[in-house]
Amino acid sequence: MPANIVKDEVVLKVDHLKTYFDATKGLFAKKQTVKAVDDVSFEIYKGETFGLVGESGCGKSTLGRTIVKIYEPTAGSIEINGRDIAGIKGDELKSFRKDIQYIFQDPYASLDPRMTVGEIIKEPMKIHGIYKTEEEMDARVSQLLRTVGLKPDHIRRYPHEFSGGQRQRISIARTLALDPKFIICDEPISALDVSIQAQIINLLEQIQRELDISYLFIAHDLSMVKHISHRIAVMYLGQIVELGESHEVYTNPMHPYSQALLSAVPVPDPVKGKEKERIMLQGELPSPIDPPSGCPFRTRCPYAMERCAGERPQMKMYGSRQVACFKVEEENS
Amino acid sequence: MENQFDKKLQDIEADDALFEKLEDSEKDSEFIAVEAKTYFQDAWKNFKKNKLATIGLIFICLMLLLAVFGPIFSPYTYDQQDLTSRNALPSLQHPFGTDKFGRDIFVRVMYGARISLSVGFASAFINLIIGVVYGGFCGYFGGKLDMVLMRLVEIIYSVPTLLYVILVMLIFGSNIFSVLLAICISGWVGMARQVRAQVMSLKEQEYALAAKVMGAGDSRILFKHLVVNSIGPIIVTTTHMVPSAIFTESFLAFVGIGISIPQASWGTMASEARGLIMNQPIQMVWPVLAICLTILSLNFIGDGLNEALDPRKRV
Ligand SMILES: Nc1ncnc2c1ncn2[C@@H]1O[C@H](COP(=O)(O)OP(=O)(O)O)[C@@H](O)[C@H]1O
Ligand code: SF4
Ligand SMILES: [Mg+2]
Repeated sequence: MPANIVKDEVVLKVDHLKTYFDATKGLFAKKQTVKAVDDVSFEIYKGETFGLVGESGCGKSTLGRTIVKIYEPTAGSIEINGRDIAGIKGDELKSFRKDIQYIFQDPYASLDPRMTVGEIIKEPMKIHGIYKTEEEMDARVSQLLRTVGLKPDHIRRYPHEFSGGQRQRISIARTLALDPKFIICDEPISALDVSIQAQIINLLEQIQRELDISYLFIAHDLSMVKHISHRIAVMYLGQIVELGESHEVYTNPMHPYSQALLSAVPVPDPVKGKEKERIMLQGELPSPIDPPSGCPFRTRCPYAMERCAGERPQMKMYGSRQVACFKVEEENS
Repeated sequence: MENQFDKKLQDIEADDALFEKLEDSEKDSEFIAVEAKTYFQDAWKNFKKNKLATIGLIFICLMLLLAVFGPIFSPYTYDQQDLTSRNALPSLQHPFGTDKFGRDIFVRVMYGARISLSVGFASAFINLIIGVVYGGFCGYFGGKLDMVLMRLVEIIYSVPTLLYVILVMLIFGSNIFSVLLAICISGWVGMARQVRAQVMSLKEQEYALAAKVMGAGDSRILFKHLVVNSIGPIIVTTTHMVPSAIFTESFLAFVGIGISIPQASWGTMASEARGLIMNQPIQMVWPVLAICLTILSLNFIGDGLNEALDPRKRV
């Protein structure tokens, strides 16, 4: 694991961020909003890998996409290198785009099927006018292909000729073309074979070591992020419910939802596994259109109390950990 | 700064053990040695491999050459009457025979190609451009503007063609420009709807989002990614527009708009030959054959293009 984090250099600061979607069906229907991201705050440091974990549908992609300005935030602020990115336009927006890149989940959908690998990787170079001649670009593409473990003569092939893992490598090569400082990896390995997942993770780690890139690494499964992340945030129904050092969160989850997520992970050590309290997740993820009052997890929480329905628990510090839960609050007071 | 980055990248040693290796045999089977570098160069290469499409393209080119140069080199003109040989059957002097005024049908077919092909191609081209831009714009930006623009399209579409025809004739008189205008005024609507639907569904695709994150502008995303990926339905719609314009032209000629006697288009020739269908059926064959072969060729070209432009369908 790369250890060269610079704690006092904040690359990304997200503050009380909300992203709501309008889900009103029809002209005269009652207005409905999907609270996909609902009041989220965190910071990511230079060279850090920040893991973001939560069930499918809890708003992880929406959070990532809001950060790269695919969606406009409903409220709150996003700062990159100390600069608020709300409302930036023109050249400023373009230079912001250069610094922040995004690796999508589905390697079959994220590459234009009607472009050669060369055209795909050259596109960002062309948009930003990084190179003047085709030869320079070709040279750079070959070099990037080698970096991600592909062959330079793959340049003339089409995405459908590659396996999922290879496509994800093409995707990575494309993001590296712009020399970004920060990459959001949106479940980059969850669509891949287990045998290939480790290869892609290794590649991403290797790139991080060499280029000092920060990652926001999204996954729906704690086991995928624990090894590579410095810190982990657990997300539930649009909110972050627990945030802490990766190792600590993994070995000692405090929020009932984190505990449940971990119980779902096969435990390598059978003895230790028995020691842990196993919480199974009951029921479905509630709809973000009509989330439960108070604590979002209360409909599935085995410890839910009266108080949990009345008010929303706020993130509180416990050592280096932040947790939003009344039970944890009471136990630690 | 760029150099530094390059150096760093070069320093990254690709750890071979980490990467999936292709079997040697797999490499050969997948790798087709090609010189073409871009999508469109590849597409052209593959188009030429398709026999029917190539034949269609050659036929259309021949037709265009005949339309432009044929009448010049012919010993007859389209309106030259020879009352001594009326309704003649095909012979060496008149390869397609003559009509009821003794005019050479072959030269009239070539001359008619000028009108029919220019009306067909020009209107298809105009409808293609307007339809793609309008539909692409609506589908890409969506929202209220799209709603207003699509209502407008519905209004345009709901007015009967004959009404446009009358209006156009009143204002611009009867000429080939009026014909084009009458065909194009509502002709692009189908294309616009097609493209809008395609673009709407494609714009949520991750490759379109990826382009946005890279910093691509709206027009790049729309035209380089979304429209290119909608090319299948666009081609199909375009191929249908050509014959439909050719028929509309002949209908307009029939009601007195556009060309007038003794000029010829394939449509007017067919309707003139209709009167003699019992006695001289052969006179009907030539213009109809010309129209059919043109449509057939266009369909072959369309299929070929569709295949050649989809890398997943290439052999
Ligand atoms: N563009 C959108 N419009 C409306 N609702 C959306 C949109 N994108 C996501 N959502 C909704 O927001 C919620 C969170 O989705 P998402 O961020 O994709 O979750 P995750 O990535 O964690 O699986 C889901 O309920 C989803 O249906
Ligand atoms: S606040 Fe209440 S409902 Fe929510 S996780 Fe804690 S105990 Fe469970
Ligand atoms: Mg997602």
